[in-house]
Amino acid sequence: MLNPPQINKRVPLVSARQLNKSYGRLAAVRNVDIEAYSGEVLGVVGESGSGKSTVLRLLNLEEAVDSGSYSLDIDDLRGKNLFDLDRFDRRAVQVHHIGIVYQNPHLGLRMRYSSSGNVAERLLITGERTFATLREKSRDALSASEFPLDRMDDPPRVLSGGMQQRVQLAKAIALKPRLLLLDEPTTGLDVSIQATVLDTLKRIQRQREITMIIVSHDLGVIRTLADRVMVMRNGRVVEQGLTDQILEDPQDPYTQQLVHAKL
Amino acid sequence: MAYVATKGGEEAIQESERLYHQLKGDVTREAVDIIIETMPYLVDRVMGEASLYSEELAALAIAQSGGELYEAILLLRAYRSTQPRLAYAQPLKLEDTLIVRRISASFKDIPGGQILGPSLDYSHRLLNLAVLEDDYEPDFNEAKRAETPAARNYPMVADWLRQQGMLPTVTTEADMPIEGADIPDVTRDALAVPAPRAHRLQSLARADTGGVLALGYASMRGYGFVHPTVNELRLSYADVKVKHPVTGALFSPGRVRTSQAEVVTNDKTGYKIGFAATFGWNEVKLIAAATLDIEMSNVGGHEALSEDFVLYHTEPLESSGFCIHFKLPHYVTFGSSTDNVRKVISTFYGDDAAGKESIIEATATPMDDLKEATTT
Amino acid sequence: MTLHNLVHQKSGYSYGFLDPFAKRELRRRMLKGIAIPGCQIPYASRELPIARGWGTGGLQVTLSLAGPNDIIKVIDQGADDSVNAANLRRFIKRMTGAATTTDTTQATLLQSRHRFPEERLHEGQALILQVPDPEPLRAVESDMAKSRILHADADYGQMWLVLYEQLVQFGRYMQGASYPVMVHDRYIMSPSPIPRWDTPMLHQSAHLTLLSAGREKRLYAVPPYTNVFPLEFSDMPFEVEDQRTWVSHSTGVRNKFMTEIPQDDGASSYELSDTSYLEKIVNQQHGHPNTIAPTYYDEDGQFYHAGYLKRRDDAESTPDQ
Repeated sequence: MLNPPQINKRVPLVSARQLNKSYGRLAAVRNVDIEAYSGEVLGVVGESGSGKSTVLRLLNLEEAVDSGSYSLDIDDLRGKNLFDLDRFDRRAVQVHHIGIVYQNPHLGLRMRYSSSGNVAERLLITGERTFATLREKSRDALSASEFPLDRMDDPPRVLSGGMQQRVQLAKAIALKPRLLLLDEPTTGLDVSIQATVLDTLKRIQRQREITMIIVSHDLGVIRTLADRVMVMRNGRVVEQGLTDQILEDPQDPYTQQLVHAKL
Repeated sequence: MAYVATKGGEEAIQESERLYHQLKGDVTREAVDIIIETMPYLVDRVMGEASLYSEELAALAIAQSGGELYEAILLLRAYRSTQPRLAYAQPLKLEDTLIVRRISASFKDIPGGQILGPSLDYSHRLLNLAVLEDDYEPDFNEAKRAETPAARNYPMVADWLRQQGMLPTVTTEADMPIEGADIPDVTRDALAVPAPRAHRLQSLARADTGGVLALGYASMRGYGFVHPTVNELRLSYADVKVKHPVTGALFSPGRVRTSQAEVVTNDKTGYKIGFAATFGWNEVKLIAAATLDIEMSNVGGHEALSEDFVLYHTEPLESSGFCIHFKLPHYVTFGSSTDNVRKVISTFYGDDAAGKESIIEATATPMDDLKEATTT
Repeated sequence: MTLHNLVHQKSGYSYGFLDPFAKRELRRRMLKGIAIPGCQIPYASRELPIARGWGTGGLQVTLSLAGPNDIIKVIDQGADDSVNAANLRRFIKRMTGAATTTDTTQATLLQSRHRFPEERLHEGQALILQVPDPEPLRAVESDMAKSRILHADADYGQMWLVLYEQLVQFGRYMQGASYPVMVHDRYIMSPSPIPRWDTPMLHQSAHLTLLSAGREKRLYAVPPYTNVFPLEFSDMPFEVEDQRTWVSHSTGVRNKFMTEIPQDDGASSYELSDTSYLEKIVNQQHGHPNTIAPTYYDEDGQFYHAGYLKRRDDAESTPDQ
């Protein structure tokens, strides 16, 4: 609110064009274009079945796309279509440049290893071999996620839902990636916990100037975090623009329906 | 410690073996013949699991091992390792076999009929104590001869289901060249998972009956998704056919007993069929194995019914050998772990008596609570 | 031409028990293993007249390599006269006609269950280790199809995570024997259940090490002069078993690997695990001539590759938890 989003950079950090993905006869994503600029938060909103989670999985290079291109404006990745990378380069991008927080912590965490271990694993993958450094960096990431450090060695399975999401967040930011993807990060949490987690996300975003793409069906979450929002329905983008504009003055009839039903 | 530390390990082994043989009867030609004659199902089981067909050698293995079946199978398989491969047999066609027992649970009656053949299925399981009397004379009642001989073989029940469209059609022989040398051989190749079909069927053919039964039973009780119906069970004799290396003519070096089972279960798309076959007659193993054949192809089922779990853990020699290898001295590795255990105890509990008390409590709690049990 | 003419009636055994094709396949697999240090090579493991789990893997390698001029040493837990070692040695001798020995320095092929000899092996010798479980990632990924992919991608993050967790929970690495190592900077390998004491002996060795798992059907190799490092964090060194205060009961020797022998009064006695080395020391102490090769660890417990091994209590500062 104090600093309006800087969206006057010419080259977006994230540039995905004409994404298409079908599962058998189900077209989950159709001709979707996405752009996200460095330091901004892009919301993707829609009901279940809209394709928003599939889009996120594609951006995380978790799944092959049927057609489309995706590039990140980062150093030696400039101009490359990330979907064309081989398995090693793809994994390197996932590890170094993208962090992801899933709705279901079981997808993003190893529930039986310690929370600090979950974070440390990211560093271990990149070859960190000093124990003291692993401890220090996982402490830093957990503390930035506002996770209580006296529980850093507890396994996620004994933690509350909100704490589990904080561990996911710490793991996602451990290597200081430029892009953070969040899939319904607060859905299913108690309302009061949701608020605190959203606060943490806001703080991290501001402090680290990290670009976030956040998927949610909850317009309240979008309103709190997102600078711009994309509305999806049946695999397509029906409307996009500044959050305030879309939520106050939606143009597309579907968006209108969504906004009036939810708020 | 005298077991290892003193010299004379060799002598100890030899005396131990002598004692073993002393405590059981002699291995004689008579003993071998009695086993062949009176225990054909035992012989069949051993031949099947050893994947070596020779009633004489199997009976000898049983006699020599004193009836310890894993030892008998080991003897036979080890012998098999020494034998060179001379030729590949021609693939066995059902129409060339002599089927003596053939039943189906799927239908009351089937083309060719339900042929009970030799079976104890409907007998009363009563011990014939008369045998133990001094004056016992075997009272052998021959089975009645039929007026018309039974057919030598029968159409497959599964073919009827295929014609009805309830089972997918199979590749015909014309599409599939079956040269013996081209068939993957699990005794010559390293088993990899996912396994080629030939490896899976061969592994099941020589799998441990008890192991296959345990896992098949688990599937049947609900851990799997298969609700099995025995579509067909066959016991047969087959002449093994080999091409003469010089003249190219087909001849038979011998006749074997063989059995096969087909089990079906239904899913949304129709029926799924599982198959198992083995040397000798072993009905229990085949029904369980054919059920597991379907389970193993099911993705996302119970881990214990996955292909690598089933094939690895039903291997009779690997499982029994590894099990009993734990009898071997392990004192070096044990010493290594003692080193760690002592260090951990001393780190967490110190040397005081109260610390040592809490060790007993601590070993009862799961790992996560270990720190809470610390007294220091 | 009859069937009788085509075959020999129940003939005797091939040289080295295994048929020539089996031996050839094994040798080819070994060559592949030597070409790719630390990589598990699958092979079609044959059944032998010895139960699975009792050394059939090591035996297949030895039988494929042994010739009539070889000299074979077989040990189990370091002892030549262990009943299992004696049994294997008898079989190998019977099947190959090779000579046997207990003297480490004389042997050309050494088959061992779970120990290295204390005397350093030299060029031209091959040590064949019996392996129960060839997969170092077993605890991390039990599905073999998946662990193969982890090895192929050198995706070892989770393995390192296990070590991290052990340090967090227990303050030390909790792997006893079978300590996982990195071979030639590429593959994580299980060195077989040798004690941690023996693990360094794989590094830059003069001899060839072959490791074979008969039941699991994998073999792998560490060629001579190859880098082998136990997995450790730079500030938490790998440590061997702490036997610094242990003294060999019959010789008074220290700083060689010993086994603990419980006494009637509840105390412990210690004795050298390498029985042929023990015998040599006893002979030496009684004035009988002997060739004792230089050992991997010297009298003060220093490993022969300087700087390779450290102890935690030698570290300058303990890292905070």
